[in-house]
Amino acid sequence: MTQSAVSVRAVTQHFTVEGQSTVALDAIDLEIPPGQFVALVGPSGCGKSTLLSLVAGLRLPTGGTLLCNGEPIVGPVPQRIGMIFQEANLLPWLTALENVAFPLKLRGVPKRERLEAARAMLELTGLGNFADRLPHQLSGGMKQRVSIGRGLVQDPGVLLLDEPFAALDEQTRMVLGDEVLRIWARTGKTVMFVTHNLSEAVYLADRIIVFSARPGRIVDDVPVDLPRPRTFSMMSSERFGALKDRIWAHIRDADH
Amino acid sequence: MLRTPSQIRWAQAALAAVILAGWELLPRFGVIPKLFVPSLSEAIGALYEYRAEYLAHLPATLVEILVSYLLACGGGVTLGMLIASSPRARRMALPVLRSAYAVPMVVLYPVMMVWFGLGMGSKVAFATVFAFVPTLLTTVAGVASLSPHLLETARAFGASRWQRILYVQVPASLPTLIAALRLGGALVIVGVTVAEMLGAVEGLGFLITRHRTLLNSPGVYGGIILVLVITSGHEVLLRRLERRVEKFRES
Ligand SMILES: Nc1ncnc2c1ncn2[C@@H]1O[C@H](COP(=O)(O)OP(=O)(O)OP(=O)(O)O)[C@@H](O)[C@H]1O
Ligand SMILES: [Mg+2]
Repeated sequence: MTQSAVSVRAVTQHFTVEGQSTVALDAIDLEIPPGQFVALVGPSGCGKSTLLSLVAGLRLPTGGTLLCNGEPIVGPVPQRIGMIFQEANLLPWLTALENVAFPLKLRGVPKRERLEAARAMLELTGLGNFADRLPHQLSGGMKQRVSIGRGLVQDPGVLLLDEPFAALDEQTRMVLGDEVLRIWARTGKTVMFVTHNLSEAVYLADRIIVFSARPGRIVDDVPVDLPRPRTFSMMSSERFGALKDRIWAHIRDADH
Repeated sequence: MLRTPSQIRWAQAALAAVILAGWELLPRFGVIPKLFVPSLSEAIGALYEYRAEYLAHLPATLVEILVSYLLACGGGVTLGMLIASSPRARRMALPVLRSAYAVPMVVLYPVMMVWFGLGMGSKVAFATVFAFVPTLLTTVAGVASLSPHLLETARAFGASRWQRILYVQVPASLPTLIAALRLGGALVIVGVTVAEMLGAVEGLGFLITRHRTLLNSPGVYGGIILVLVITSGHEVLLRRLERRVEKFRES
């Protein structure tokens, strides 16, 4: 058996706010082999973002363990795990190029070297001509491309995306989805992708993890047996519809 | 009416002219007793008459202001940044500091004179204490309005606490910092002047009090004009800094 890129073992997360305890995640087990594209779906508030923040090492779980390539996750390791948020969260006073280079700056990579690496990332995400723009001079989709470039710039083996396209229009969402698939196919990264959009989940992923409403538990683990590369026309195929139906049934049941 | 920047500037100039003219004319025609407010020309005349004295006492006041400014604003901003960067520190320190804010600091001045003597030490100590907490609280309030997402993002990319302060908090809160400096600077100037008035052997505040004791109103107002000049100088410097920051942040 090959080692998992990400292992989540009996992970539980409680939050206590003003004496009120909520269980965000309840005994989650998940093994993700290297190179797999996993989509996480489930009703709002079921703990998807919480799970990603645990994998990113932004917090420690109340119970259980998380591993990246077999090593315990005890804090952010940005060289191994890159994160892309729903909002691009760019620093408004830095140019697109400097924003992409920011993680390298934090690691003390010399300026020339890090700007060079950042430029390559902007080329990869199709923003080569906008390197010197400030975030407020970019469209929403372009900002998200910058954010993807920033997530990729340290060449992490694992990429975490938390509803990265939720704030974008349908067309931009499709284009960027294809972009992520292209980058993924080329780099072979392990991807965990949170989305509310079932079509997006089926279109992008190898495997879909479905969460129940709070407390978050895994209620289904759906392999997506559609061939690659995925195409737009597959979205109207019977198999695509059947996968979507299967996932939708869980979410509808959870949310009554 | 007041639309373009130049119209507004004219209106500002007109307002200033009205105030100055009122200052000159109302005392002159006896509307306000001269003992309370001497006319502008008399105050300026006194300023000229006692120029040697004012010049001799100005350096002490300026040095006190400068040192207190560095301590109160430097310390207040730095500590404010540190406290704001940690939710736990915020919860712990803010209630205490807010209560401290409500204490009328003037009551401490006699104590400080006992500790630090009649010289510059007690002025610096008082002005620093006077301005420190408001500067700190303004800084914290500004940083608190910063999006937590930016800090979270920086953390996800491995930023240490100091890196988050230096690369995210400080640039994001530059406008707030200027507001904090504006308030802190004004309070330092007030603090130094008041302390000098209450008990000192030199400084503008000391001169103002001495002229007041002698019922020499023009002399009092000459000193007040000099304090106003210092305050305006501070404001001019801040405006310059503000313009730089705006350029730096672009948006
Ligand atoms: N920092 C926190 N403090 C307290 N409670 C939290 C915190 N973060 C999340 N929670 C709670 O944990 C639960 C799961 O939140 P989470 O954000 O992970 O859900 P989600 O699945 O990402 O939801 P959505 O789809 O709406 O983004 C929610 O009930 C939320 O209120
Ligand atoms: Mg979420």
